[in-house]
Amino acid sequence: MFIRIERGASSPISRQIAEQIRAQCLAGVLKPGRCLPSVRQLAGELAVNVNTIVRVYEKLAAEGLVELRHGEGTFVLPPATSISSGTELKEQRVQFSREFEAHVRRGLLLGLTTTDLRGMLTAAASEAKTMILKQTKSE
Amino acid sequence: MNATAIQMDHVAKSFSSKQVLNDVSLSIPAGQTLALLGRNGAGKSTTIRILLGLIPADSGTVRIGGIDPAVNSTKLLSQVGYLAEDQSMYPWMTPMELCRFLAPFYPTWDMALAHDYLERFEIPRSTKISRLSKGQSVKLGLGLALAHRPGIVVLDDPAMGLDPIARKEFNRDLVEHLQVSGATVLYSSHLLDEVEAVADAVAILDCGRIVRTGSTEAIREEVKQILLPMDFAIANQKPDGLLDVRRFDDRLAITTDKAMDYIHKLSANGGRFDVVDLRLDEIFEAFVIGRTQDWPSQSIQGVVSV
Repeated sequence: MFIRIERGASSPISRQIAEQIRAQCLAGVLKPGRCLPSVRQLAGELAVNVNTIVRVYEKLAAEGLVELRHGEGTFVLPPATSISSGTELKEQRVQFSREFEAHVRRGLLLGLTTTDLRGMLTAAASEAKTMILKQTKSE
Repeated sequence: MNATAIQMDHVAKSFSSKQVLNDVSLSIPAGQTLALLGRNGAGKSTTIRILLGLIPADSGTVRIGGIDPAVNSTKLLSQVGYLAEDQSMYPWMTPMELCRFLAPFYPTWDMALAHDYLERFEIPRSTKISRLSKGQSVKLGLGLALAHRPGIVVLDDPAMGLDPIARKEFNRDLVEHLQVSGATVLYSSHLLDEVEAVADAVAILDCGRIVRTGSTEAIREEVKQILLPMDFAIANQKPDGLLDVRRFDDRLAITTDKAMDYIHKLSANGGRFDVVDLRLDEIFEAFVIGRTQDWPSQSIQGVVSV
């Protein structure tokens, strides 16, 4: 599992690790059923506090992305069951809308019109949909 | 495992007329890693030396693994792993000779483990210590501090003088050899980027006082920078945990503790503002050199301070 940590970044390390694992699960890089490295192993590899890794795995389990099987390890769950629980999903959507707003603001400052932005959104959405469709088919 | 491994309560210490520690309290639960942060001369080494009973505190209580270091420093040192800042190891000895020399001082010394550390840390066994590199001698110190399998380990600025790769290796050793085995670790550092990855919690020491303690994640959650228009700031009260204020034309950049309370208040008052996540070094800076005198008041509105 490839994880790159940016030390001294404004995003906390646990968030960086969680985001990268989440992205790899959602993109199908980490396939369902795949066993994640053990807490000790990943902590040693990344030189990151053991408890931080434990918290990341617990958070991802609460989101329904992975499953902690006692004594066996942490396993990636299939996407069907990986729909986030209510509050997690809500939190992520709030975060997303903040990021989206920032992008829109930046676009407007760069001189793009609302029509330009709308066009970009439509194009990006249709491209993303085809990609997601391809991925689900290949599984 | 929920017991407290290291506890300091209201410790004070002066050297002649200079007060170096003032009402220092610290608590580290068993199995946790705490990083003591502070500038040079903030009192980090003094705190560590009092903890180990190497110097007495003027007042306050200290317990480390249940032992009072002022009463039984010898017993304590045989149970705690300690890496001093400028470890004056015997430069004329070889690592092997030093191992044999130290073993009798520790009832729980594990010679096989000591050899194992020398092996893993790639320390030449029969080269004189004076000829080892800085990185090798720090690792030797760490290996020797761990060879009696201590449950509590105290490291005084272990990463100082190590190159970036040696520091990374050292952090990995800390995680793999100490945290994984459930040891309690207190270490001092001023390499904030690295502390964040390794420590469960930090304590910021400034001019002999602990100005903030908390888990690294909680501190980053609770201390934020907020950018807001000057008139909106004036309309609101000064935040409780205000640490730093900077003026940029008609905008204010404030750094505050307990930021969530303040953000809720600002949102409730319906103004436009931005919240910035801070890095640990920026948070440290705000606590240690932050200034709040630029907070605007109605009366000085319009006065530009530089």
